[in-house]
Amino acid sequence: MRWRRCLAPALLLIQLLMILALGGCGTGGGGDTVTIYSGRTSNLVGPILDRFAEETGISVEVRYGDSAELALLIQQEGDRTPADVFYSQSPGATEFLADHDRLASLSTDTLESVDQRFRDDEGKWVGVSGRQRVLVYNQDLVDAADLPGSVFDVTEPPLAGQVAVAPSNGSFQDFITAMVAREGRQRAVAFLDGLVATDAPTYANNNAIVEAVGRGEVPMGLVNHYYNYRFLDEDPDVASRNHLFPGDDIGALVIASPISVVEGTQHVDEAQQLIDFLLNAESQAYFAQETFEYPLAQGAEPATDIPPLDTLDVPAVALDDLGSLEDTLEMIRNSGLAG
Amino acid sequence: MGLPAEVDDRHRDRVVVPRRNGSVTIVRVVGLVIAVGFAAPIMFLLQQSVVLGSPMLEAFRDPLNLGPLGRSVLLAVSVSATTALLGTAAAWIVTRTNLPLARLWAVVLALPLVLPSYIGAFTLQAALSPGGLTDQVVGLSLPVVEGFWAAWAIMSLLTYPYVYLLVAARLRHLPANLEESAQLLGRTPRAIFRLVVLPQIVPAVLAGSLLVFLYAVSDFGLPQLLRYDTLTRVIFGNLLDRPVSTALALQLGMLALLTTALERGAARRMSGAGAVAVHQGRGGLQWPLGRWRLPVLLATAGLAVAALVGPMTVLVYWAVRGIANGTTRAGSVIADPGQLIAPMLGSASAGILAAAFATLVVLPVAFLTARQRGRSAEAANALVVTGFAIPGLIIALSLSFFVLRSSALVASVLYQTLPLLIVAYVIHFGAQSLRAAQVAVAAVPDDVLEVSRTLGARRLRRLWRIELPLMAPSLLAGAGLVLLSVLKELPATLLLSPPGFRTLATDVWSATSDAFWAEASVVSLVLVALSGLLTWFLVLRRTDALS
Repeated sequence: MRWRRCLAPALLLIQLLMILALGGCGTGGGGDTVTIYSGRTSNLVGPILDRFAEETGISVEVRYGDSAELALLIQQEGDRTPADVFYSQSPGATEFLADHDRLASLSTDTLESVDQRFRDDEGKWVGVSGRQRVLVYNQDLVDAADLPGSVFDVTEPPLAGQVAVAPSNGSFQDFITAMVAREGRQRAVAFLDGLVATDAPTYANNNAIVEAVGRGEVPMGLVNHYYNYRFLDEDPDVASRNHLFPGDDIGALVIASPISVVEGTQHVDEAQQLIDFLLNAESQAYFAQETFEYPLAQGAEPATDIPPLDTLDVPAVALDDLGSLEDTLEMIRNSGLAG
Repeated sequence: MGLPAEVDDRHRDRVVVPRRNGSVTIVRVVGLVIAVGFAAPIMFLLQQSVVLGSPMLEAFRDPLNLGPLGRSVLLAVSVSATTALLGTAAAWIVTRTNLPLARLWAVVLALPLVLPSYIGAFTLQAALSPGGLTDQVVGLSLPVVEGFWAAWAIMSLLTYPYVYLLVAARLRHLPANLEESAQLLGRTPRAIFRLVVLPQIVPAVLAGSLLVFLYAVSDFGLPQLLRYDTLTRVIFGNLLDRPVSTALALQLGMLALLTTALERGAARRMSGAGAVAVHQGRGGLQWPLGRWRLPVLLATAGLAVAALVGPMTVLVYWAVRGIANGTTRAGSVIADPGQLIAPMLGSASAGILAAAFATLVVLPVAFLTARQRGRSAEAANALVVTGFAIPGLIIALSLSFFVLRSSALVASVLYQTLPLLIVAYVIHFGAQSLRAAQVAVAAVPDDVLEVSRTLGARRLRRLWRIELPLMAPSLLAGAGLVLLSVLKELPATLLLSPPGFRTLATDVWSATSDAFWAEASVVSLVLVALSGLLTWFLVLRRTDALS
């Protein structure tokens, strides 16, 4: 008897939830809408996308997720994809969609507003902001004077086995692709083999490396520059610091976060407006000040304690050479570098 | 005089009530139709493999791939064996002894299931590793938390509740008379457990261990963080190399099908004889622990500390540190706790709806497999169970594939809506409610059914008045498992949810991927609290666990 007495309230609860949940889905009708699949998280880009919606009256729907997974979804969805814009964490996932003819061409004006090194030659994407590859090290364990001059030193004594990497991370993969483009395949394969031969510790992602370096589990790691700012923000006593490889070492590669318009969208104008908005001076200042990234639009200035890009001798790898992600993945697999 | 004999025969048929002759064809049809729905991910993977020319056979020959496959199997086998022991022991102690505060432990021991494995692994790693919390606070420097042993230990701690919940539900409803007889015959408690109790709970132990096995092979976050190179790690590291990732995902599906078949075989062999059905309201024997009371209490508390309190302590530490520092960031839950309402509602509604539908949908399959058996039943069972071993990402992609390739109307009405998301959850987690439902169906005593049938009760009325009430504890346990899984689910939620839909899990993911530890911790704590609350309110409170 007791069993049936709880059933009625249970059914009522389920009905209520259905109404509640379905009611919540019916928004966004009327007016212009642009749908973004974003590999960048809401913490980073949410505020600036809200500002776009406020200023233009165009409503913005964002699906946040992992860049590679969202790229797979767009490719899978084909012609019926709800996505108008793909905003990726790294160029690898964007190039994957470009290779599958899922991206539309951007206007010349938009393309030319970005430094040539950080846009696609075929005109499918532009970089909005950039992150630099750095060596993060524990300042209690490593003397700043002993820090390496080149990323290739990390597979040689005395650094061998002391520097952590994140092989499944998109930025590490882009870094290897860039290495192939500039230094040649042989050198990249030797680098990967060197990491394996010297038992370089592998971690899940940049965060895990910075965390491990901070607590002294591993003395150094190869990551993107901005993670350590976040860790310092969370705990000012943490011992991890960034080291920038000097000169135009490939280890100091700047990786763009590319934005692109999905092929076949009904909202080309809105999509184009959004991209131009992200490249305007105000938005670029947001990326510099709030996310500690390099603004990539021509003439934009980075945050005060970050050196401006054009004064940096960053490696000149055209980022659309970062095409062949599948090739990179195969190289990493064959090297046996697990992770 | 052939006529009377004939009548007599027919009459006897009706009284004996043949149970396994496939007479209930409606159940069979409905069960099979439902099972076909569960085949979506496997059909999708097969289709993709063919289209992409995936190196399916090569994937089985290539030593680079066989290593991860072997490690996945090794991890899953050792974790499911460990949890079978741990979960059964915990269930027996909580339900059958005079453990102090048994009601409290009954809830607490189920709770590690609410910790997403990536959070459990990350917090324990941060706490125990060199330079971590134990090092700083206690001065105890442990080796680096990584590799097989770390993955084995932490995954066992986080998944033993699968066994614990199913076994405890079964133990609570075993009749006392057999055990009492054995006791009168002078059997020791150990002998009674081995000879009387164990045979009765084997199906539940196997069911729980199978869920643990499938969870272990399909999990990505934990092996990734603990640097144990499993099959999922290769799949997710190579997502955009589609021929390779598809072939390996299919390998995972095959592994799940094989394991399911093995478990069914084992369950049949080990529970064939003398399964005792439940009789409501009459629990088994209670054993006084005597001088073992303190050690057992300490062991129980130790388990709770390692699996639940430890990770929670780290979360609280990070949260307090972050709240003390304060934040000015817009949209942070630390500055504005009101931000938590939307994801809490999202999590609760998705979880409860999925749990309800999963329980409903697998019921015909449970009847089919428990009452009828045969090949179609086995196939239906295998398809439902396999959904649990396939990563949520693949399930989301397969639903996207099938829905967007159907008619434009279906696609526009269904795609990226809550109902489709619920379907994804049911496909992914239906296995959990199915295993519980099978235990439930098997537990309905034959004699009760026969009596009701001879009294002329109709099928639906029998189901409603007699079977469902008897099955309720196990069904609710299954619904609880689904609820907890949905609350943690991430990849399918990210890809298939309605626009703007947030859950606590997506918020945790978002905060951790940007290293907002304080924020991630606060949301994780809310997730754990909500899970605990819902489980207690909707499940444990209603299963006589606390009465």
